Amino acid sequence: MRAPRGIGPARAAVFFGVLAVLPELDLAHWLLNMLVFTLMFAVMSSAWNLLGGFAGYPSLGHVAFFGIGAYAVVLWFQHHAIHNGYEPFLLLPLIGVGVAVVGLPVAAIAMRTRADVFAIVTITLLFVVQTLAFNLRGLTGGAQGASIAAAPFPSATYERPFYDVLLVLLAIAMGLTWAAMRSKVGLSLAAVRADEDKAAGIGVRVQAVKLLAFCVSVGLTAMVGAIWAYYQGFIYPQFAIDPLITVSIVLMTFLGGRATLWGPVIGAFILEMAQQYLAYSLGGSQFYLIGYALVFLVVMLLMPRGILPSIQEWLRRRRRRQVVDAPATPSGGLRTADTPLTPRRTAPHVKETRT
Amino acid sequence: MTALLEVANVSRSFGPMHALRDACLTVERNSITALIGPNGSGKTTMFNVITGYLRADSGHIRFDGHDVTAANPAILYRSGLSRTFQQARVFAQLTVAENLVVAGGFSWAQLFGRRVGRQDRKRAGELLDEFRMSHVADLYASELSYGQRKLLEFAAVLMSKPQLVMLDEPTAGVNPTIIETMERHIRQLHAAGITFLIVEHDMNFVMRLCDPVVVLDQGQEIFVGPPGAVQSNPAVLDAYLGA
Repeated sequence: MRAPRGIGPARAAVFFGVLAVLPELDLAHWLLNMLVFTLMFAVMSSAWNLLGGFAGYPSLGHVAFFGIGAYAVVLWFQHHAIHNGYEPFLLLPLIGVGVAVVGLPVAAIAMRTRADVFAIVTITLLFVVQTLAFNLRGLTGGAQGASIAAAPFPSATYERPFYDVLLVLLAIAMGLTWAAMRSKVGLSLAAVRADEDKAAGIGVRVQAVKLLAFCVSVGLTAMVGAIWAYYQGFIYPQFAIDPLITVSIVLMTFLGGRATLWGPVIGAFILEMAQQYLAYSLGGSQFYLIGYALVFLVVMLLMPRGILPSIQEWLRRRRRRQVVDAPATPSGGLRTADTPLTPRRTAPHVKETRT
Repeated sequence: MTALLEVANVSRSFGPMHALRDACLTVERNSITALIGPNGSGKTTMFNVITGYLRADSGHIRFDGHDVTAANPAILYRSGLSRTFQQARVFAQLTVAENLVVAGGFSWAQLFGRRVGRQDRKRAGELLDEFRMSHVADLYASELSYGQRKLLEFAAVLMSKPQLVMLDEPTAGVNPTIIETMERHIRQLHAAGITFLIVEHDMNFVMRLCDPVVVLDQGQEIFVGPPGAVQSNPAVLDAYLGA
């Protein structure tokens, strides 16, 4: 569904404006920490959505690239001194592009498969990278982990730089998604998702858009991995390449709504904040996982297609009901111009994107 | 007339089953050729082999003077050979107008351009007007009736400005109004110079519209001739009409 002209940018401005001023409200550290992790997952869900949502390729191995990004920043700064706290952030574009390039041959091979087979191939990738991280001890420290110098930010505002950088990264991820949706890249991806064989048959640049979606998606994910590693200061293979991270970003995207601009962000804000809040509330017990699962189950029961598509569908039906009853047409027949299904707009009637 | 499409001695097997056995087919330029035959006679396999969706085991296919035996569907599509499918295949998650735009094709440079640009709107709008579908342009294809999807698929293949349009059972499962609409468009497009190859079970539709008629049985052509003659041909009656 397309928002009326001007609503989209206004919505984005309000969203990012509110998030930009939130840290000024003297929030508690635990709350800022929660927001940092929420933004991380929002970026990763948006990135995953480019591939799993728009292209219809459900990668379950994205965390492999998250881990590569994490190790990239740690390894770099094991050999280079950090002169000021922002230096690791300057490395992010390089990590993003580098991992996107590394992802290209991976995508070329993995994307010869589809759907469930693709998911299995990407899970394999995840475990290959995790095994490498455990066993390349000279490089990664293996199970002993690897560390990066602590970020030299004042403890009172320690989270703030990470928060700000993640906010910028979220804007970039959503900006890229928005640009894709409004371009023929998005149109091509939607055709691939709907019927790849037919899309290829009518000359859609299937391979190109698939590879593009994969590379941009893993590049963004790797950048989040790098920020996470710097934020944590010390990383272990089982946490840097944790299958649960992939599971979370997939769940968040499904919850909010696949192939939409805002769906993954909504999903990340609900699930990650719920998870973090429940974990804080219920302490070290694992009970928070039950609460976390309940949140997901309730939403999916009520809105099986995800929050945003369900709301859009509801609005669409509501709008249809408001249309003056049209004369009946023969069963299966072509409706005439006098019996529109939707309110008529000024010609040509071309819907451009879903938001 | 000169041949636009020539299929020479094409064979295709699926395991032990021979779907096509040295089958031949000629489609003259600016004709409306029908390809008929009983179920399992190899019509759809012939379509798939011609359009590159299946590779022939042997034989040759020439389109517009070029050997296209090993060409892939996209190359054939861009060179002017478009098709529809037995079960209408439209992009359900795209709107009607977007279905047309994506079928129109675009260059590398246009890939990063607007999803539906001004020129796209114009082209799609014109075609939708012709098909009297402007009022559903904004709907997702999944919201259309089956007949409307068939019509949309037909309209979409025209976006590539084809020389030859291959329709696989265009009237199957659609109501008489849409059959009439299809027929009218085929006649108009034929008059404008487009060649058609049509697989169809509706004999009235075939007799009204097509000439010549090619009859396929057990993977081989058994008759080629005008629609009047097909009805009295003993081999056809025996194989297809069951008289």
